Amino acid sequence: MAEQPVDVEPGGQNVAGEAPVEEPEAVTDDTTVHDDDVELERTIGLVGGLAIGIGTMIGAGIFVFPGLAAANAGLAATLSFAIGGLIALLVALPTSELATAMPRSGGGYYFISRGMGTAYGAIVGLGLWLGLMFASAFYLVGLGHYASAVFAELGVALPFSPVIGIGLLFGAALTALSIGGTENTAKIQNVVVGVLLVVLTGFLSYGVLDAVGVFGGGTVPEQFFSRGYFPVLTTAALVFTSYLGFAQVATVAGEIKQPGRNLPLAMVGSVLIVTVFYVVTIFVATSAFGADRLGQFGETAMVEVARDFLGLPGAVAILGAGLLATFSSANASILSASRAVYALSRDALLPRKASEVNLRYGTPHVALVAAGGPILVLVATGQVELLAEVASFLHLIMYGLMCVALIVLRRRNPEWYSPSYQVPGYPVVPAIGALASFGLIAFMQPASIGIGIVVMLASYLWYRYYAGDVTLKGDI
Amino acid sequence: MTDRPSILVPIRVLEGESVPEGVPELLAHAHVVMLGYHVIPEQTAPGQAQMQFEDRATERLDEYETMFEAAGATVERRLVFTHDGQKTIDRMTAEHDCMAVLVPNATGAVEDVLVAVRGAVGIDRLARVVAGLFGETDASVTLYHIAEDEETDEDVGTLLEGMVNRLKDQGVDASRIETRIDRDREALDAITETADTFDTVVMGETDPSLATFVFGMPADQVADRFLGPVFVVQRDPTPNEDEE
Repeated sequence: MAEQPVDVEPGGQNVAGEAPVEEPEAVTDDTTVHDDDVELERTIGLVGGLAIGIGTMIGAGIFVFPGLAAANAGLAATLSFAIGGLIALLVALPTSELATAMPRSGGGYYFISRGMGTAYGAIVGLGLWLGLMFASAFYLVGLGHYASAVFAELGVALPFSPVIGIGLLFGAALTALSIGGTENTAKIQNVVVGVLLVVLTGFLSYGVLDAVGVFGGGTVPEQFFSRGYFPVLTTAALVFTSYLGFAQVATVAGEIKQPGRNLPLAMVGSVLIVTVFYVVTIFVATSAFGADRLGQFGETAMVEVARDFLGLPGAVAILGAGLLATFSSANASILSASRAVYALSRDALLPRKASEVNLRYGTPHVALVAAGGPILVLVATGQVELLAEVASFLHLIMYGLMCVALIVLRRRNPEWYSPSYQVPGYPVVPAIGALASFGLIAFMQPASIGIGIVVMLASYLWYRYYAGDVTLKGDI
Repeated sequence: MTDRPSILVPIRVLEGESVPEGVPELLAHAHVVMLGYHVIPEQTAPGQAQMQFEDRATERLDEYETMFEAAGATVERRLVFTHDGQKTIDRMTAEHDCMAVLVPNATGAVEDVLVAVRGAVGIDRLARVVAGLFGETDASVTLYHIAEDEETDEDVGTLLEGMVNRLKDQGVDASRIETRIDRDREALDAITETADTFDTVVMGETDPSLATFVFGMPADQVADRFLGPVFVVQRDPTPNEDEE
């Protein structure tokens, strides 16, 4: 068992007089070792890691975006998803290297604070926490759309749109469940992801065969760039929310077994798998209806696609899958947000109280409420596209900075930096990853960019006020 | 001192589990690997629990360490925060090369030890644990075997005799060793029932099967029903070390 020494020494104090918790002594395949023979067990295997990545991502790209993306970019939305996947892959590779060098809780925040210093770390860490809330809220609104579609399917006519109400209900329920529930949620997550992949594979296989004319249906040939070239990039920026999940694997890097092997496989693997599913989904969906009609169906367009192919049973299957997928995405994001709060509070960037563990349930109730509360406010806005873009914005900043952090660390080459996985094509891959991440932001709506910048500024000011003296940067 | 068998003593240190009465004396001749562990739900990062609970857990482990040492044992300790208690116990057993895991239940002074001898497999380790723990005490050791239909009395005799010889070689006085054989009984019930009149049980680990998956390991079931301390002798780890 290879022991990897950890040699980063944080220092300083925040306003409340709390200092960052000491770093562990070593990292092994099975544990993180602290002094005095205290160990933290690693319990998540490769399957668990993949389930976190895929489970977080697949809800959005397949069940919420197809209609919206087709309305914006036409058939070329397929290309938008491919571009998103390529950028995600360009970031996932450097992230894998950083994660194997520093397999600790907190993911991107941890890498950037250790590689580039507290200020960048604070912006990314607080941004990650808020970004995950925007992402959760986005998934919950998507869930609301699917639940409303269920009502519509049952013929229950409601005098008002239940989308936001249902989103709020599930948001509150999820937070409460996370605090009070101690059942094995990871196992459930694995099963949910497995079921989703099976349902989707069946559905998409049928769809592809149908699209190429095997069942005689055939499709109307359509111009690929029916909306022009520019919307392809703005759509890529919009749907990038579908690729935020792989970094959530890094958030629990401290709990992954054999991190040197499993982290890169889980992150790169989940990006590749969902990219294939997304591209095929959009292709099938747009060839079934054409972009215009698909766009009119909005968030639950996939239900109509399934109905077109397989009738009512198809629609019911996709409705069920959509509910499951958006629910599991929201759940995974809330849990990741709570991990982010823990990482920040461990490093004295948030009050220590924020990561306090509930004595009765053993769960971090303060962190979960800190994630769940604001999510409800965000859900109440009901702005699917805005929520998605702000979430993407805050993540893209982190992705870009992770690539920069990798280049910084490689150039300074400090003694403690010894990743077991090395990114191929250095320095080109991380450099393009950084440029592409920052570049994609330019194609977002001005409102999303504005909110994102305000969040970053607020994060920086919080750091200056609360933890200006805390140093987290590794010795480089 | 090299003959002290390493015994893993897992304690859920923050859930009110402590070292029960009589256990330090029971382990006076052992090398105790004391595992204080705390199982946390998946919503919680292990480090988060560590931040809050490490001091309290360490305090208790200090106390327990003193108890074991006062009784005469040598002690090694670990504190682990985990999502999966069983994985932690298995890993500790392998890493510290523990001969047996103790299910710590309270007991009085140990006068009678029941040793369940299942078959020839693993009998060496069983003998080493029994001899190491009780060789220098006055406790009487009863070797217990539940014969299956196809086993002849001769087979059973050879098996138990082999065990007796091993114990004698390792310094257990032959006059303290008894044997007892039962036939046509369900092993688990038989062990639990017989154990009633004994102070502690030493038994082997069984291979995981569907039944153990559904009902739990037999050793755990025995421990649940017997209510006294049970030593579960671990299989020799060398042959199938590279699982997963």
